[in-house]
Amino acid sequence: MAKKLMKGSEAIGEAAVQAGCRLFFGYPITPQNEIPEYMSLRLPQVGGCFVQAESEVAASNMLYGAAGTGERVMTSSSSPGISLMSEAASYLAGAELPVVIVNIVRAGPGLGGILPSQGDYFQATRGMGHGDFRLLVLAPWSVQEAADLVQDAFDLADFYRNPVMVLGDGLIGQMMEPVEFSSDRQPIKELQPKTWAATGCPGDRPTNIINSLFLDPEELERHNWKLKAKYDAMTRDEIRSASYAADDDYDVLIVAYGTVARVCSTAIDELRERGVRVAMVRPITLFPYPYQAIRDAALRASSVLVVELSTGQMIEDVRLALEGARPIHFHSRVGGMLVTPDEVIEKVECILAGGAAEVSHG
Amino acid sequence: MSATVGNVKFKPGDYKSTLNPVWCPGCGDFGVLNALYRAMSQLEIEPWNTVILSGIGCSSRLPGYVNTYGFNGVHGRALTLATGVKVARPELTVIAVGGDGDGLAIGGNHLIHTARRNLDVTYILMDNEIYGLTKGQVAPTTPTGDKTKSTFWGNPEPAVDPCELAISTGATWVGRGFSGDVKLTTQLIADAISHNGFSFLNVMSPCVTWRGDDQFKALKEILAYVPEDHDRSDRREAMKYTREKGVLTTGVLYEVKGPSFNDRLEEMKQQAMAGRSEPTTREILATFFPKF
Repeated sequence: MAKKLMKGSEAIGEAAVQAGCRLFFGYPITPQNEIPEYMSLRLPQVGGCFVQAESEVAASNMLYGAAGTGERVMTSSSSPGISLMSEAASYLAGAELPVVIVNIVRAGPGLGGILPSQGDYFQATRGMGHGDFRLLVLAPWSVQEAADLVQDAFDLADFYRNPVMVLGDGLIGQMMEPVEFSSDRQPIKELQPKTWAATGCPGDRPTNIINSLFLDPEELERHNWKLKAKYDAMTRDEIRSASYAADDDYDVLIVAYGTVARVCSTAIDELRERGVRVAMVRPITLFPYPYQAIRDAALRASSVLVVELSTGQMIEDVRLALEGARPIHFHSRVGGMLVTPDEVIEKVECILAGGAAEVSHG
Repeated sequence: MSATVGNVKFKPGDYKSTLNPVWCPGCGDFGVLNALYRAMSQLEIEPWNTVILSGIGCSSRLPGYVNTYGFNGVHGRALTLATGVKVARPELTVIAVGGDGDGLAIGGNHLIHTARRNLDVTYILMDNEIYGLTKGQVAPTTPTGDKTKSTFWGNPEPAVDPCELAISTGATWVGRGFSGDVKLTTQLIADAISHNGFSFLNVMSPCVTWRGDDQFKALKEILAYVPEDHDRSDRREAMKYTREKGVLTTGVLYEVKGPSFNDRLEEMKQQAMAGRSEPTTREILATFFPKF
């Protein structure tokens, strides 16, 4: 299929449709309204349905119901709305239902602002709701990657019977870039028939109750370990990261994800032109986190710089990866302010000149 | 299920699951469950084409006791789950069940909007005027002044009439039943399931544990049946049987015909599918910039 200039939100919606998503439940919140709006236009054209719910609580529970029928289903929201969906996320994980949730993160806490942020990293990677569970979290850095990851997200959700989150921000949603959809895309996982789903068919199949309630503690403990085994399998098989300018030697390694990594790549290009040896490793899966790839890459550098749009969330995973093996520096903007390439350049130069204080290991 | 499709007749007992109800002896919900078995048998409903969904509460255990597909979902969200299932699989019979706390307090907003959409599902609300599972706290249907475990000095709040709420927010079939009258409740459930659109059945279902034997007796004394000449298509007439004093009218209070949410979605789908398979750039841009 030919490349097409698409807005991020539109590409996310179209990717979902092409991945077989036929049902979408949403509630308006800036800056992600273009996704539900696109779905309201697009889904009926392919025989699907769009429902604007009465709240994010309602939307996410409609998603829960629809996922129970075995259909490919999705919702999208932005930070405050995602908090309201955390209820259903926990139940979906407990009941082992596949859904795709897109979070176009805005700055918080509270109502915060509507501009880009990475302040929901903890919420996304530490389970999103109550109880002992994880989402599989994918973080795109371009519109094309957003489209690809949304399609992969449906396969991963079905394979693991677990909610998958695509974590972006307003930049991903609003940016226009060329996108290409493969006309013969194959699922990335070997998928089994959904024998647990309420499909409404007669036959020998036993009836099924979709449920997250286990009052017998021994049974619930078994269920918890069963879920843990899935998270372990994700950690074994699904970790993704990309490196940038890492073929050549480097002194400073930048760790950044999503659109921030995109900004850092511009800074790296400029620094490399000036002869400054700098590279980047970019986590694509935030859970499972690429600890080993980051450690391996960091050991080739003399110091590490974490750049993110929060006061310091992903940096905790970088610390876990390095276990003190290299000094870690930090640069961030928050509140909807963006990191610029010039800021990154300045920071890297400052580190190399010995003028930047490393982040204390608390 | 060993039965084959086509010429099957199901006895009420065929709908029983292998789980035994854990409700207290004498709970009104037994009557509702039995009425549901009978109504399903009367309508020859195929268990494999049926989904029963609930939230949390004593009565929300009901899906486990019926041999259909089932959901034991999130507190207050039975109707949102039902929306998801019915939009995904319009061909299934979808029944949501729950109690007054689940459906009118934490889930009240969803009742309003599911009724407004006229989603083609049946909602059976088992009303015991109390929170039973959490052991006796005040509910939205608890009469003013009643002492409960969370209203030591008496309930300071007026109660909601679930049928009034359902009629006023757009339900197209509204009935009131009593779990002590299984014959009546069976007929009401069968009528409700047969209705195209949102059917709301409030069944008075006494809680012997937290409301005592008096609730059952008090209800029996004030129960009446809607007059035969009642014009159930007249909203104002129907409203006469809500917020009643000293009497509680059972039967079908309100029924109007019209397209359900599913009918409207299907029509929209047909229109959209008859057109192009992909939107034009102009159409897409128009969704972002309405004045484009």
